Amino acid sequence: MNQDIESEIRSALRPMAPSDEFSQQLLARVAAHPPARPRSNNRMPLRARHAWWVAAGLAASLVLTVGVERQLERQRSLQSGLEARREVLQALRVTSQKLNLAYEAVKSQSSSLADAEPAV
Amino acid sequence: MNDSACELLDEYLARARSGERAALASLVRAHQRSVYSLALRMLGTRDLAEDLTQDVFMQLNDNLGSIESSRHLGFWLRQVTTNRAIDQLRRRARVQLTSLDEEQELFCAEEGADPLLQRHLRALLSDLSPQARAVLLLRYQEDLDPIDIARALDMPINTVKSHLKRSLDTMREKVGAHAGCEDQST
Repeated sequence: MNQDIESEIRSALRPMAPSDEFSQQLLARVAAHPPARPRSNNRMPLRARHAWWVAAGLAASLVLTVGVERQLERQRSLQSGLEARREVLQALRVTSQKLNLAYEAVKSQSSSLADAEPAV
Repeated sequence: MNDSACELLDEYLARARSGERAALASLVRAHQRSVYSLALRMLGTRDLAEDLTQDVFMQLNDNLGSIESSRHLGFWLRQVTTNRAIDQLRRRARVQLTSLDEEQELFCAEEGADPLLQRHLRALLSDLSPQARAVLLLRYQEDLDPIDIARALDMPINTVKSHLKRSLDTMREKVGAHAGCEDQST
């Protein structure tokens, strides 16, 4: 029964041609319609597209390398500036301590001299 | 479609892609029966079917560059026709009833075929949902297998199989009931 109904449907659904009038109109419309531009006309050939991408990739990596190098250079110079500043501060701190010690020594010496002098 | 026909259509396709209008016209002639029949049986009226057929071939003209082979062309045309027909049917609340004088065109009865059964099948086909109708047409009019139908309609294979089974069950049942009524009336 299943095969019977399938063959009945198949025979009922045989493709049918459109009217001659419509067929002629359709062919005329298709012939009059401007053809779509072939893809090769508005696209680069595959090899050229490949070369273009390689060149673009090289340029991008060059820009990236230069940028990274400059950034590293800037960081190195900042680092050495900070190092120099730290050394200067350290030197000032040491000098200040030495001066304090000298001042203390001079001060204690002059007070002992004053004590040793007899009162007039 | 045999290999030599495929080769010829491949050649027409290559020439049509390079802009030769006569080759495109040959492709239209080769496929217009299939596209028009699908459109007519999906939409139910000759005017709508002609409009859709024309639109599909105009769309083909714009997409020739993406068609890889004659087999791909056949698949592409069926896919675009059925999907556009389903979209149109979704937009319409109901499928328009076909006029009586168009009835003959929807099913050109084979020699010896029962014209009443053919008419009954037409009514049953138009009662199906758009998706089920598309599945049935691609299976029995275009002779596609369920895998290709699933690809064309972007539908899971199990959905295609269940549409086929359900539609066949319904049709078998209703054709059986119809035959019973005919027997009783005679």
